[in-house]
Amino acid sequence: MKFYLLFDREGPRIGLADGHETAPVLDRLEPLVARLRDSQQQMRALAFDDLVGLCDAAARSWTQPGHPLGDFIRRNHLGFLPLWMRRANLQTLALRSLRGRPEALDRFVPLGEKETMMVRAQPRGLVVHWVAGNVPVLGLLSLVQSMLCKNANVVKVSRRRPGVLPHLLAALSEATCVSARGATLSGRVLTDAMAVVYADRHDEAAARELSRLADVRVAWGGREAVEAIVNLPRRYGTEDIVFGPKVSFAIVGAERLADDDTARRTAAVIAADACAFDQQGCNSPHTVFVERGGPIAPAEFARLLGEAMEAESRRAPLEEVDLADAMNVLGVRTEYAMRGEAHHSRGIQWAVVYADEDSGLAEPCYLRTLFVRPVNDVFEVAAFCSSQTQTAGLAVDDRRHALADALTARGVERCPAVGAMRIYDAPWDGLFPMDRLVRWVSG
Amino acid sequence: MTSATDHLLSLPPYGVAAEIKAAALLAAVGEQIAHHYEHCPLYARWLRRQGFDPRHPIPGLADVPWLPVSIFKRLFLSSVPDSQVVRVLTSSGTSAQVPSRLPLDQTTRSRQMKALAAILSHRLGGRRRPFLVLDVPPDKSADADRELSARVAGMRGYLMAATEQEYALRRDGDRLLLDREKVVATVRRWSAEQKPFCLLGYTYLLYEYVVHPLRAEGIRIELPPSTFVVHFGGWKKLRQQAVTKPVLTDHTGEVFGLPTGSIVDVYGFTEQLGVIYPDDAQGVKRTPTYAEVLVRDPRTLEIAPDGAVGLLEFVSPLSHSYPGVAVLLDDVGRIVTRDPGSDGCQGTGFEVVGRAQRAETRGCGDTLPKEIYENAGAGR
Repeated sequence: MKFYLLFDREGPRIGLADGHETAPVLDRLEPLVARLRDSQQQMRALAFDDLVGLCDAAARSWTQPGHPLGDFIRRNHLGFLPLWMRRANLQTLALRSLRGRPEALDRFVPLGEKETMMVRAQPRGLVVHWVAGNVPVLGLLSLVQSMLCKNANVVKVSRRRPGVLPHLLAALSEATCVSARGATLSGRVLTDAMAVVYADRHDEAAARELSRLADVRVAWGGREAVEAIVNLPRRYGTEDIVFGPKVSFAIVGAERLADDDTARRTAAVIAADACAFDQQGCNSPHTVFVERGGPIAPAEFARLLGEAMEAESRRAPLEEVDLADAMNVLGVRTEYAMRGEAHHSRGIQWAVVYADEDSGLAEPCYLRTLFVRPVNDVFEVAAFCSSQTQTAGLAVDDRRHALADALTARGVERCPAVGAMRIYDAPWDGLFPMDRLVRWVSG
Repeated sequence: MTSATDHLLSLPPYGVAAEIKAAALLAAVGEQIAHHYEHCPLYARWLRRQGFDPRHPIPGLADVPWLPVSIFKRLFLSSVPDSQVVRVLTSSGTSAQVPSRLPLDQTTRSRQMKALAAILSHRLGGRRRPFLVLDVPPDKSADADRELSARVAGMRGYLMAATEQEYALRRDGDRLLLDREKVVATVRRWSAEQKPFCLLGYTYLLYEYVVHPLRAEGIRIELPPSTFVVHFGGWKKLRQQAVTKPVLTDHTGEVFGLPTGSIVDVYGFTEQLGVIYPDDAQGVKRTPTYAEVLVRDPRTLEIAPDGAVGLLEFVSPLSHSYPGVAVLLDDVGRIVTRDPGSDGCQGTGFEVVGRAQRAETRGCGDTLPKEIYENAGAGR
């Protein structure tokens, strides 16, 4: 059993670009967890609004000109992150997730306006997050929500880019804000109750130890990874929150193809959704269903989408190119150039492909590749949905709720407007994460 | 009138100066592209979309439109009528991947044989030789054994250069075993007859069933110095066992008492069968007159500078029945020299570093079981 300690209250133990090998090694986690639980008590003494205030202060500072994290955020296409961490967003998340009673995180409150029952949302204890290597920042999303619920946290990152999360947490620890009572608070109060570790994925003893210590297990990742995590032994009562593999798509109704301007605006926001997280997130669109019958045909919309992808990629170029994915994309591009339409960058940056006879969900090939597929009626798409489809970005007008109803009845989890697919909100994967990160108690 | 491709094939494999080769190769490539443009509608459509007009001269080999190798898995591309197809070649069917499907006509086959014979003859000496094949003999069971039938197909070209063939492995149930008595008897017979011969087989079979067990038992089978050990088929399985090329070469030399220059690793691929790339005496793979290698940056797809690692592209005009003229592979490598070898051999020297493979499983955007996807494609 071997853990590499990448971040704790002493700060980051590795550089942003370092591998885990340079980090100190722990053969036991219990002493670290005991320290985290001590720090959790300090955090618990603070008001939820103060915790939110610290996140808000961090997010605001990151977008200030010259902040060292600014460049990192731009290069990694994380522009959404400072917005997601702003006060208004976090308060909305908490309000939605905690039965309209986020103040229950601080004290007993009536369950509802006409309720006599007093409830409180107690932290569950130690939350262990397993984070996928492709989008390490995902860990921050569950971590911040867990922290707002006043839990202690351990994040187990993957071998790939282990320095990213410690880097972000170091920046969070530097935030300061003034509490409602006039005291100056440091981000350290948040990060002292957090640790980031790495353990080899073949180190079964380490995996079992993490699972044994957890009060909540949060698993982000591919099918194999999340299955391995949920199959680990756990203590009775341990809560599981699984964000497993899902596929997402967008739907464009004929009403959004009424004229060139409307179609271009729709294409631009779909392109932004596709380029976020380099199309590796479960909420990233891969297929774009386009309804026939509008003045702009699906094939023409594919061309406009190509222009939008070019613009988006100029703004934020694709950083990492996996060779196997690149070869796959080249095959797809060439196939469609032969039997359909292929719009793409000269190198490997983006591609939009179309063939009139194609239907159904396309198998993702990543690297910002979109498959435009025609449908006669947007409601046809429901037939392609299942519990493995997550986000359907909708570009329809009056039919939106009827379409969302049809899609979610078949298993889709989210139906935001196109352009908001990439926003991490709640509910997510069928649940309100913060609700699962607390114990509801009455008193 | 002799075609530019026939002219190219009449040239010696490693004896043509670079500029003369480039001109002859480009002429043949242009000729074949024009043929495929006329006879393969999908290819023609693809060329037109790039604004490529086969009537215009191609400035250089780097300007030849290339196809990613996976296109032959995705679409069946043919430039001859079905009646002229003598065989549909499939790439190795040993993995779960969809194989490439390539129609072969007699013209393509003849060109492949001619190129292969010229290259092998240069490397192994002018005379044809007996081959001791490091595999089990093909029999009816080969039809049922997909892996064996793929191996046999991959070896067929080499065996054309053999005066006779013996097989060194035998079956023991599901296992393959080295038939030591037969190997020793065959070596003794050919040596007594003073016939220079050749051991031929897939790289992983050579190691796993021949070199590794013999060496583990301290057994040496001394071969005459004129013998070559020719192996091919890739290093994936051996890499998993951390067996590198120097290790295999050293151990093979040790077991058979041969110098390293007699142990020849051959690179080649199904989509341009006939052109093979054996190590020269210095262990460098060189392009023969009938082909050229280019290295492309995987991100920009532009030509990478010599020495830089990138995706390997091969340009060769042999394929008449399918448009395999310029193929970008998922093999990664680099150009190591453009100078002639110490033996005077011409040709671009290159090294294959590995294969493009996915680094790690993805996260929540990971691929899902294929059943949920529905790809309706006319060409599939």
